[in-house]
Amino acid sequence: MRILLLCSAGMSTSILVKKMQEAAQKKSMDAKIWAAPASQLHDFINEVDVILLGPQVRYLLSDIQKQAEPYGVPVDTVNPMHYGTVNGEAVIEHVLTLKK
Amino acid sequence: MNRFIQALEKHFVPIAGKIGSQRHLVAIRDGFVLIMPLIIIASFAVLINGLPIEAFQKAMASAFGETWKQLGSGIWNGSFAILAILVGIGVSYNLAKSYQVNAISAAVLSFGSTIIFVPPTKDASGLTLAWLGAQGLFVSILIAIIVTELYRRLVKVKSLAIKMPKGVPDGVARSFADLLPATIIFILMSAINLIINVLAKISLFEIIFNTIQKPLTSILSSSLPSAIIVAILIHLLWSFGLHGTNILGPIMDSVYLPALEENIKAFGKGVAATDVPHTITKPFFDVFVHMGGAGTTLALIAAIFIVAKSQQYRMMGRLSGAPGLFNINEPVLFGLPIVLNPILIIPFILIPVVLTIITYLAISSGFVPKAVALVPWNVPPIISGYLVTGGAISGVILQVINFVIAVVLYLPFIKMGDNQAVKQQENAS
Repeated sequence: MRILLLCSAGMSTSILVKKMQEAAQKKSMDAKIWAAPASQLHDFINEVDVILLGPQVRYLLSDIQKQAEPYGVPVDTVNPMHYGTVNGEAVIEHVLTLKK
Repeated sequence: MNRFIQALEKHFVPIAGKIGSQRHLVAIRDGFVLIMPLIIIASFAVLINGLPIEAFQKAMASAFGETWKQLGSGIWNGSFAILAILVGIGVSYNLAKSYQVNAISAAVLSFGSTIIFVPPTKDASGLTLAWLGAQGLFVSILIAIIVTELYRRLVKVKSLAIKMPKGVPDGVARSFADLLPATIIFILMSAINLIINVLAKISLFEIIFNTIQKPLTSILSSSLPSAIIVAILIHLLWSFGLHGTNILGPIMDSVYLPALEENIKAFGKGVAATDVPHTITKPFFDVFVHMGGAGTTLALIAAIFIVAKSQQYRMMGRLSGAPGLFNINEPVLFGLPIVLNPILIIPFILIPVVLTIITYLAISSGFVPKAVALVPWNVPPIISGYLVTGGAISGVILQVINFVIAVVLYLPFIKMGDNQAVKQQENAS
């Protein structure tokens, strides 16, 4: 599964990426997880299965959903508490509910 | 307080969200993001050229000859000197992309259209370089948006598309598809330019610069009240978990970048960093107010280590320390949390206002030099204070003073929040 996390510069979400990778490994999931600035979505839209937004850019949600819709890619915001406490496992669980 | 926050969440947040995702503003922001690397390199090139350390200057001149500074000024010419052009291309490209039309075509048309409006030099041997740079920023953004809006409408008009017979390669067919829209846009732009030149006797660049850009820049980059308003807005947005600096980015960059450019240019010409024109620039906030991220949260983390006893606070302190050094504070904002937290929102908004006032006084009194480098926002404090002032220790001293004040002001609030967390912890066990 290819999971893309978006925030304004792709930096703060990259902290979460590492924890999510660890969580995915524990579940022996085959996952590619990475972070990028929201403005670079068009570079990756062809190669993702799920898109998550950092809560600080949640106002971009409807815009990004519109961009991702033609590709059938689900988009959602990371739960702020999971985000703040860098809870990789909870976010992976969230991803699994999105991609069923 | 809780009811007040709920009311704001209901009315203020949707408006902020709309502004933050408004298509043209997003395109402007992404246009600035695109050129940021170039601007940062150029700013450091000037900083190195003008570093007020005599031994360094002598060593460079003797090692590479007196012309060594041309390396830096070349970089400047390719970036800051053509700021308006670069941003215009980026804005048009991103806007076209959001409409899912050919982005590179739109960007090239916008670039060409902007050049149409640039007045030639007096002897007609070239273009007036000044308008390609920060002075022309407002016009280039305006033209990028108008041209892209025209382009995306015109390419959808079927009767304007020149049909090629089957067997003509795709690329060739596409270039013909753009021919009529491009023709219409260029004729229109050149006609507008001609009319302005004949009627007003000056260029569109001069009109917009003198009536809008210059007054706006001089108000926002020198008055304390405007800086306080900016600080309050950024932190009010963050209090609701919205990326304040990002939402205000298009406005802040459009105004503060030209101001910073004037500072850097003057510094590069040998003006002392205390005597350059503009006090308030984006690094003013990034370096002296947003230490550890918006809300000076590095001080908040320090306050946690000093007084907090609850597991929750101490854990968030440990987790947020390392990213905080690089001014990344989302973990503490969402994890502690500060967002929507009635106790912590108060110092979170108040402290930046206090620091903005102190920083303004320190700079306008001449104790600390003005910003003469575009220090990226993620450069750690101390280093950033030294670099942004063109290598002045007083910049570092101001950061330390601001930090200490912020810690002291955060302490009682952290204590209050921590007491609550301790109680919750006891109730849970």
